[in-house]
Amino acid sequence: MIETIFFEEQIAEHQTTQRIRRALPRANWVPIDRYQELFNKRHQNFKLQKKNPALILAKKYDNFVLPVPSGFGMESHKSFYFSHMYNCLYDCKYCFLQGMYSSANFVLFVNYEDFFTSISEKINEYNGKTLTFFSGYDCDSLAFDKLSGFADDALNFFSEFPNAELELRTKSIAISSLLQRKALSNCIVAFSLSPAEIAKSLDSKAPSIGRRINAIKKLTNAGWKIGLRFDPLIYTADWQKLYSSLFSEIMEGLDPSMVHSISYGPLRFPKNMYKKAANLHPDHKLFAFPMEDANGVISYGTKIEKQMHDFLKSELTNYTSENKIFQCIS
Amino acid sequence: MSEVTGVEKNSGLLIKFCWVIALRAEATPLIDVFNMKIVENKSLFPIYANELTGHALVISGMGSIKAAAAATFLKNHLKINAYSAWINFGIAGFYRDPIGEIYQANKVVSKESGAAFFPGLRLSKLIPAATLFTVSKPENGYEEKALYDMEAAGFCEMAPSFSCNELTYVIKIVSDTPNVSSSLISKHLVRELIEKQLSKISDILAEIEILVEEEKKRLSIPNEVLEFEKRFKFTETNKYKFREIYRKWKVTFPSRNLDLSEFLNSKPKEIIIKLEKEVLANAKDWNVL
Repeated sequence: MIETIFFEEQIAEHQTTQRIRRALPRANWVPIDRYQELFNKRHQNFKLQKKNPALILAKKYDNFVLPVPSGFGMESHKSFYFSHMYNCLYDCKYCFLQGMYSSANFVLFVNYEDFFTSISEKINEYNGKTLTFFSGYDCDSLAFDKLSGFADDALNFFSEFPNAELELRTKSIAISSLLQRKALSNCIVAFSLSPAEIAKSLDSKAPSIGRRINAIKKLTNAGWKIGLRFDPLIYTADWQKLYSSLFSEIMEGLDPSMVHSISYGPLRFPKNMYKKAANLHPDHKLFAFPMEDANGVISYGTKIEKQMHDFLKSELTNYTSENKIFQCIS
Repeated sequence: MSEVTGVEKNSGLLIKFCWVIALRAEATPLIDVFNMKIVENKSLFPIYANELTGHALVISGMGSIKAAAAATFLKNHLKINAYSAWINFGIAGFYRDPIGEIYQANKVVSKESGAAFFPGLRLSKLIPAATLFTVSKPENGYEEKALYDMEAAGFCEMAPSFSCNELTYVIKIVSDTPNVSSSLISKHLVRELIEKQLSKISDILAEIEILVEEEKKRLSIPNEVLEFEKRFKFTETNKYKFREIYRKWKVTFPSRNLDLSEFLNSKPKEIIIKLEKEVLANAKDWNVL
C-alpha cells in the first residue's frame, strides 16, 4: 500500500495523476518541483527505504526510447526499450536496480503519450522493418499496472502497429487488464522465472513460481504469446535438477506454439553494482560465492556459465525449436 | 555473523537515538523521561546522554545554522555510530488548530534558500505527516498549509550524512496557530504539550529502533575481524580484501570462528589467501538456499 505520493506540480492535473489520486485518496499527497530533488538525494538507504517506498509522479522530457543494451534482446530484430517507471515493487536480491539507483522510491512518468509519440517516430524511421520495444527494463511491466494503467494504454497503442512488437517483462500475476481484452498478436508477455526454491530465497515480495506459471497458462489459454526468461541463471547444488523440473512444470499442458521465445542469461554484475548489492545483503549466500572478476564484470566465471548454457540449451530444445531459444549476455 | 561491536572508528557510547532540540524547555521532558545526564556543559551546546536507555540529546539554540552545528558537535563529541537515528524534535507553528497535535515532517523546505529535504521513512500508521517550512524569523502569517519552525532545514542538511536519510526524522508538536498566538507559549505550556505526547513518542521510537537495529547488524564489524586487524598490519587494500573474504567465509561457514593461533606466523596476505581457498573449495557444492 502506497502511503505517500510526491507529485511534480506541473503534472497535478494530468489524467494519469488524477486517476491515481482517485485510486489513493487517503494517501499523503506532497507537491514537489522535480522528481530528482527527492530521487537523487545523497545519503539515501536503499534497503531501509525499500520497507516503505513512496510513489513519485513525474514528467519525463527526453530519452523516451533507447536502443537496448548489447545482449538484452534477440539479435534478429532491431530492439529498443523504454522505461515509464523506475524501480520495482519486488525486492529481488540479484536485481541491478538496487545498485543503479540510490533511491528505492518508485518513479512513475505519467506522460505515457510522449512515450508513444517517440515509439511511433521510431516505427516511422524504420519504415516496414520489424522492431521490438521492451518495457520492464527499469521496472516490472505489470506489477504496478493496477495503479498505473500503463499496459492498457500501451496495448491500445501497439494494436495500431502490427509490425512493432511489444514485450512486457514481468514477474507479476496482475494480468487482469490483459485477460479483459482480445489477445494482441504483436505483444509478448515475458515472465522472469527461476526454480521455485531459488525464487523463494531470492525474489522477495514477488509472486511464487507456481502463481507465475498459473498466470502464464491463463494468458496462453486466452491467446497471448508468452516469453520465458531464465535470467539470471542461479548456480546452486542440484541446479540441473531444479531447472529441469521448472521447465517441465511450465511446459506441462502448455501449447508450445504459444511460446514466442525462451531466453536465458548468466548472473553478471558490473563491479560497482555488485559491491552495492553485497553491501545491502552482506549475509546472503548469493553474495558469498567466490565470483570471478573479469574486466570489471563479476560473474560465476566462464566454466560455470558454459555448463549452465550447455545444459539450458539442451534441455530447452526438448520443448521448443532451437530458433526460439536465445542466450542473453548483458 | 558472530558477536559484533560498534562500527570501526566509532568507539563511542551505544547511542541509538540522537535528539537535536532548540530550547531547554523542549528538551527537559525528554531528558527526564529517558533519564539523561549532562555529559558536556562547557561548550555552546549542552549534551545529555544515557547509554543504558540509548539516548543522547543536544540543545542547539534557535536557528537553522545552530541546529546543523549542534548536530555535528553531538556526532563528533560522542562519536555517534552510523546506525544511530537522528531526530529534530520540538514545537512548531501550524496553519490550523488544535495545538498539541504531533506531526512528522515529510518535506522540509528552507524558506531562505528554497532547498527541500525529505527526511525519514514515513510513520503514517503512527502520526500524520505535514510539510514544514523552516523560517529565519518567527512566523505569524501561517500562509501555507504547513508547519513552521526555525531549525529543521539546517538539521536536515547535516544529519543524513551521519547515518542516512531514512534514519533522520523531524517530529514536531503544534504550539501555535492562527487562533493561538505564539506569544502565549510558555515553558509550562511546552512541557505540557510534550508530556501529553510521550506515549506516542514512545511508539515512534519503537518503530525507528527496528531500523536502527537492522542497520547496526548490517554495519557492525565482528570482534574477530577487529582483533585480526589489530594483530596484523593490513594495508588499506588488504584490509578491504580481508573484510570481503571474511564476510564470504563466515556466510559459508557460519559455525566456524577465526582462530588466531592458526595464523600467528602468517602475513596478512596469507590470511586472505587461506580464507579464499576455503571458500573456493566449497564452491562446487555451493547451495544458495
